[in-house]
Amino acid sequence: MNLPFDELNLRISNAVSFEHLGEERNQFNQMIQNFLSSIEEIKIKEITLINEIHDLFIQRTITLSEIELEDRGFGPPPVSYDFILFGSGGRFEQTLWSDQDNGLIYEDTNHDQKETIDAYFKELAVCIEQGLEKAGYPPCDGKVICTNSLWNKSLEEWVIKMNDWFEDPHWEHVRYLLILADSRSVYGEGKLVKKMKDIYLKKVTSTSTILDKMMHNTLHHKILLGVFGHLIKEQYGEKAGGLDIKYGAYIPMVNGIRLLSIEAEIFETSTLERIQKLKQLNVVPERYALEYESAFTHIFKLRFKTLYKEENGLYTSNGILKAKQLTKDQREKLKSSLRIGNKLQKYIKKKIDSSS
Amino acid sequence: MDLTTIGLNSIWLMLATILVIFMQGGFILLEAGSTRMKNAGHVAGKTIFTFGIATLVFWAVGYGLIYGGDGNAFIGWGDFFLNPSPEAVEGDAYPTTIDFMFQLAFAGIALTIAWGGFAERGKLAAYLIFSVLFIALVYPVVAHWIWGGGWLSDHGKQDFAGSTVVHLTGAMAALAATILLKPRIGKFNKDGSANEIHGHNQVFTALGVLILWVGWFGFNAGSTLEVGKAFFGYVALNTQLAAGAGAIAALLIAWAITGKADVPTMLNGALAGLVAITASCAFVDPWAAVVIGIIAGLLVFGSMKFFEKLKIDDPIFALSVHGAAGVWGTISTGLFATETLAVETLDWGQAGLFYGGGFSQLGVQIMGVATSGAFAFVASFIILAIMKAVMGLRVTEEQEIIGLDLSEHGSYGYPEQVKQSMN
Repeated sequence: MNLPFDELNLRISNAVSFEHLGEERNQFNQMIQNFLSSIEEIKIKEITLINEIHDLFIQRTITLSEIELEDRGFGPPPVSYDFILFGSGGRFEQTLWSDQDNGLIYEDTNHDQKETIDAYFKELAVCIEQGLEKAGYPPCDGKVICTNSLWNKSLEEWVIKMNDWFEDPHWEHVRYLLILADSRSVYGEGKLVKKMKDIYLKKVTSTSTILDKMMHNTLHHKILLGVFGHLIKEQYGEKAGGLDIKYGAYIPMVNGIRLLSIEAEIFETSTLERIQKLKQLNVVPERYALEYESAFTHIFKLRFKTLYKEENGLYTSNGILKAKQLTKDQREKLKSSLRIGNKLQKYIKKKIDSSS
Repeated sequence: MDLTTIGLNSIWLMLATILVIFMQGGFILLEAGSTRMKNAGHVAGKTIFTFGIATLVFWAVGYGLIYGGDGNAFIGWGDFFLNPSPEAVEGDAYPTTIDFMFQLAFAGIALTIAWGGFAERGKLAAYLIFSVLFIALVYPVVAHWIWGGGWLSDHGKQDFAGSTVVHLTGAMAALAATILLKPRIGKFNKDGSANEIHGHNQVFTALGVLILWVGWFGFNAGSTLEVGKAFFGYVALNTQLAAGAGAIAALLIAWAITGKADVPTMLNGALAGLVAITASCAFVDPWAAVVIGIIAGLLVFGSMKFFEKLKIDDPIFALSVHGAAGVWGTISTGLFATETLAVETLDWGQAGLFYGGGFSQLGVQIMGVATSGAFAFVASFIILAIMKAVMGLRVTEEQEIIGLDLSEHGSYGYPEQVKQSMN
């Protein structure tokens, strides 16, 4: 595909209002929808491009929010900050439609300015959330969002909060820590996120049971391969006969690779980059890494096939792919990818059980 | 027969009768738990009500049409409006009174099984009329053929406690009903896929199954009729083994195929094991009881999927649990019956295929299950088709949506909860 990246970049950077950005977003989605209808299989570089454009939209929304705050008398940002994406955005793995999964981290300041600075970023977060909504990114159901004070703090507060989570690793806290693992700075210099994640990764190494807890937190997503080597399909309702590619294939692989990366103190967030790093650092044997890469690439591409056109002409996704949409060869390829996913899960379980 | 023996036989048979009647309680919980809250009071109430009808009709004509001495190979005749001797008479192993009670309890179970096909959409009036006609015209025919000295018993059909007579007959009536009533609103989508209509209380369903399981000792072990050398213990052992095996097999197969260890499927597996062993419990070795139970558990899972594919709505899985497993149980006797048990212990059967009996007993079993099943289905279908034309079988769409508790009885089984959930 020849996505006109430069042209889009120019148009997005020139958008002067959230509404304007929303219009650009609609056109972009339309363009991608047409593109997806015209191809058999998406390429990884095309997915990367789509994610770069998502970043442009988000960056422009933040710039416009800063301008709006200035216009309203709040002035420019009082200290430097990073706007963070979590989830698929953080991993650079967004499809067409993604919820907002984001947060904010800002520089520490002396005590007497703290109140003003907190107030600024609170207001900025509100503005960004609303702006992103207008640009076509609905707020996150799970409340992992910059307007939630849990995800909007100064570096020092982040570190305190993180330590709390490490020290009291019950299910919810472990979930938060796993969310943090996928954090990526989409706006700002990225130094603050880097600092936070360095502390995070060191803390993981020094907290003996946390990997075990992280593993158990994600194990409930089962790979959709039955004991007879068959694909497990949805049984009932509109999903009947469908394969849950998102939770039965994609998420288990993402979780597995993330866990290995956390253990190896890898900073990268994208699953494919993580696999590269795991290979480079000899954390997993090269043969395994190549298998993971090929299996994940295949599953990741299938995720884009789960996007379907709704009656109103918009693409959406419930992560389900009708098994009938796949040829026999494609089904076999999926099964072999899932077998690798299973092997990955077993490998991790063995690795973490033996180290804890 | 001395009085002590008569007394012991009678106590055992009376106890078995009570256990089988108590199975109605199991069915109340099973059906109510497997269906929605808005129908719970109706499900419970109609079970008691129709058992009442079954009692009077069975007393008036049903018992006589099975066992009446003036009949022929196809139907019994005599002993209508039964007025038996108050005590056992010369030559009896137990009095007719208790025999009647025991047989009535079985007929009541067959009728309750049939209601599986009506669930969540049948009119109360249809329950009333069909109770009368089923107990008078459908059940006695099959029961006479196999147990009342009819043509199948002449062929040596082996159905110890009623895999065919009770379970298959009930299931065939349920099949006719569910075909004529058509699926519940919302069960199937336009594209042919099925929706899962969850029962409102899995604990009820499980308790229902446990009560049925316990009641089954009356059903199967009680069918020894006499205490003798306590052979009923052996029958109980086989019953227990098959139930356990069915539960395990059904859970494992559901887990393996769908990735979910589905509780209702496991419960149906236990029941399928019980239904299947009902015909063969006195004829087979314990290991065979385990095999029969395992196959029943696997079969019930496949059968549930099969009926769903055919777009036949089977709300409480009566077709699979009592129908498919009933057929299997009957046929299994023709495979696993041992010479020692059939010929020596019971003195009224033949060994199956795997015990040197050749294909003869297996042939009788297959013929018996096919003819009995066909009769029960055709007779029920004709009766219900006429009822449908004359009075209608199904409540209106509005009534179905609002629930049968309110539409058929004017008050909810769970007044507070239903009102809340509708807000």
